[in-house]
Amino acid sequence: MSATTTVDGSEVRDTPGRWAVETRGLTKRFGANVAVDGVDLRVPRGCAFGYLGPNGAGKTTLIRVLLGLTRADAGTMSLLGFEVPKHRDVALARVGAIVDEPRFHGHLTGRENLQLLAAAREPAARDRIGPALERVDMTHRADDRVSKYSMGMRQRLGVAACLLGDPQLLILDEPMNGLDPAGMREMREMIASLVAEGRTVVLSSHLLDEVERTCHAIAIVDQGKVIRQGSISELLAGTSLVVEVECSEPDRARTLLERTTIGADVDATPRGLGITLPVGADRDVIAEIARVLVEAGISVYRLEPIHTSLESWFLQVTSRLGDSP
Amino acid sequence: MTVVPDVTASAPTPAGVSRDRRGSWIPTFPMIATRFMELRKRRGLMAALVGVTIGIPTVFLAIRLILHAVAPKTYGPAGGYDIFTALVAGVLYVFGFIVAATLGCTAGSVDLTEGMFRHLVVTGRSRLALYLARIPAGLAIIVPLVAAGFAIVCAVCAFAAPTTLNYDGVSVPAGLSRSGLESWAAQHANVVACNFTTNRIIVNVPCGNRPRGVPIGKGPDGTVVNGPGGEGAGPAPLTPAQLRAEAIRIANENYTDYSRFFLSPSNSLMIKTGLWIELEAIIGFIVGLGLSSLLGQRTIAVVMMVVLEIIITPIAARARIPHFENLQRAVVGLATAHLEPGALPLALGGDRRVDLLHESTLVAVGVILAWLAGWTILGAWRMVSRDA
Repeated sequence: MSATTTVDGSEVRDTPGRWAVETRGLTKRFGANVAVDGVDLRVPRGCAFGYLGPNGAGKTTLIRVLLGLTRADAGTMSLLGFEVPKHRDVALARVGAIVDEPRFHGHLTGRENLQLLAAAREPAARDRIGPALERVDMTHRADDRVSKYSMGMRQRLGVAACLLGDPQLLILDEPMNGLDPAGMREMREMIASLVAEGRTVVLSSHLLDEVERTCHAIAIVDQGKVIRQGSISELLAGTSLVVEVECSEPDRARTLLERTTIGADVDATPRGLGITLPVGADRDVIAEIARVLVEAGISVYRLEPIHTSLESWFLQVTSRLGDSP
Repeated sequence: MTVVPDVTASAPTPAGVSRDRRGSWIPTFPMIATRFMELRKRRGLMAALVGVTIGIPTVFLAIRLILHAVAPKTYGPAGGYDIFTALVAGVLYVFGFIVAATLGCTAGSVDLTEGMFRHLVVTGRSRLALYLARIPAGLAIIVPLVAAGFAIVCAVCAFAAPTTLNYDGVSVPAGLSRSGLESWAAQHANVVACNFTTNRIIVNVPCGNRPRGVPIGKGPDGTVVNGPGGEGAGPAPLTPAQLRAEAIRIANENYTDYSRFFLSPSNSLMIKTGLWIELEAIIGFIVGLGLSSLLGQRTIAVVMMVVLEIIITPIAARARIPHFENLQRAVVGLATAHLEPGALPLALGGDRRVDLLHESTLVAVGVILAWLAGWTILGAWRMVSRDA
C-alpha cells in the first residue's frame, strides 16, 4: 500500500522506488570547470549515507543541484522518487537540508528564524518548532538572538530547521563542523535515531571517522565523479587485512614468517610487526601465524587483526593518494 | 524515473503536503506575517525609519510649539498652511521616498546576504511567492509610518494654525468671501490703502511716517489717481468716502491672491497630499525592492535610489535636454511631481508652471505603473533565476 500526493492536479504515487536520491548523468559546469561530471548516484531509503570526497571534489555542488539551489546542465535526478525540478515543490516538502554552514538572520532569535522557515512550509510545520528545538537541545537558547550563537549552536539550529518539514530525507553538509566532541556524539546519536525512524540521512563530511561510525553506505566523489558507492562493509571487504603482532623476538619472527607460504608482507612497526595478508585470505591464516611463532619458541604478547580503515581506503581510491608524501 | 511502482513507504508522509500549494506564486499570510516580523525587528533600520518619517517633523513642530508658547509675539504659531506645505514638499516627500527605498533595498537583499535564502528555497516554496511576500510585509511597515508622520503634521498644522492671516503685513480675517473682504476693507480703509499691493499708484493717503500717495510715476496700467483737487491742483487728502472706495477697489483687486492663503490646510488638500506622499513611499519601496533583488546587495542599491531622488529627478524635471525630453519624462520622480496637489509648492523647487517639464497626467500615471511593474518583474526574475 502506498500513499499518494497531488501534483499539478493529478495524483502521484507518494513513495515510488527504493532510492531516496537517484541521479543519472548529472552534470554541472562552471565555465570550463566541470564540478559535477555525469554523476550516477543512488542513495537507498532508510539509511545513513555518507557522501565523501576531497576538497573541491564537487560534493556541495551536487547537493546544491539536488536541492534546486542551482541548475543542472545535464542529466536527470529524483528525490524520494519525485523527479526534480519537475516536481521539486512536492519532493522538497519532505526534504530537510543544511548546505554549507548554516546561516540565519542574526537579529532574530532561533525560534523566530524557525518561524520564518516554517511559514514557507505547510501549516503543520509551525507546530514542530518546539519539538525540533527540543530534539537538538536548543530550547534553553531558543529565544536568544542568533548573532549570539556559537557555530555549534547554529549547526543545531540548522538541524532543527531541517526537522520542520518532518522530512523523509535529510541532506546534511558537514553537520559536525563546529561541534565539540560531546556535540559530535549527540549529532551521531541523533542521526542514528532519525534513521531508526525510517528517514534517510545523506551526510556530506570530510570527517571520515565520523562517517564510518555513522553511516551504512557511502559514495566517494572525486573530481566531480562518483568513483565508488555501496555499503561500507562491502567496499572495505575488498581490501587487505593487516595483522599486528607484538612478540619477544620481532626480527626472528619476521624472518620466520617471510619463509612461510602464507604470502604475507611483513613490516617492522614501532609496536612489533605489521603483517599484510593477501586479499581474500581467511581467518585460518591468522591461526597459522600464531602456530609458526609459538612452535619457534617466540613469545606472542598480542596478535590483532586490523581492518583497513575508511580513511586509508579513501586515500587509496581518491586523487589525494597522489598528493600524499 | 518519476514513478517506480508499489514500494511501501519507509517513513510517514508529512501531513498537509498535498494541501499547502507551495508551488503557487501567491504568498501565504504566515509568509507575509513572518517577513513583516523579520523587517520590524531590525532595530537600527526601524529607528532610522521612525526618526525620519515621524521624528523630524515631530521635533520641528515641537520646537515651534514651545517657542510660540514661550514668546508668542516673537514666534508665530507652530502650524498653519505655510508650515504644512513646507514640511510636506520639503521633508516628507524626499525623505519618505528615501526611507521607503532603504526598507525596500533591505527587504530585497538580506535573505541572500545573510544566508537565509537557501534555507527558504529548500522548503520547496515558490521563489516568486517568497519575493512577493516581501511587498505587503514592507508596505505594512512603511505606509503606516509615513501616515503617522503625516498625521502629526496635519494635526499640528490644523490645530495650531494662526487665528488671523497675515496678508501684506496686515492681520486679516481668513476665509472671507469677496464681498466680505471688501466690507472688511471699507472698515479698515486706511490700512488697506497703505499696505495692500495695488496695480495703480494712489496718492494722498496718510500712512504715518511713510505717506503713500506721492506721485512717483505711472502704475503698471499707466493710470494715476489724483486727489480731489484734480490734475494740476496738487495733492489734497482723500475724503473718507473716496478712501473707502479706494480700499474696496484694492481689496477687490487683491481677492484672487488673498483667497490662495489659508490659515490651515483644507481637509481635501490634506487627503490629496497624504495619498500623494504614500504613493511616493510605495514607489520608493517597490523600486528599491526590485533593484536590490536584481543587484543582490543593499548598499549600492540604496545609493542609487538616493541619487535617483535627489540628483537625477530634479535635473530631469527642470532641465530640458534636447532630443531627450521623452526620456526625461520616463523618470518616475517627474511623473509623481505632476501628480503633486496643485496647492503645494513644487517639491523639486522652482515654479511648477515655468520650470517643470510638461507631461500629461495620463503619461505620468503610465510612467509610475511601468516603474512599479518593471522593477517588480526584474526583481522577481532575478530571485527566481539566481543560484541560492
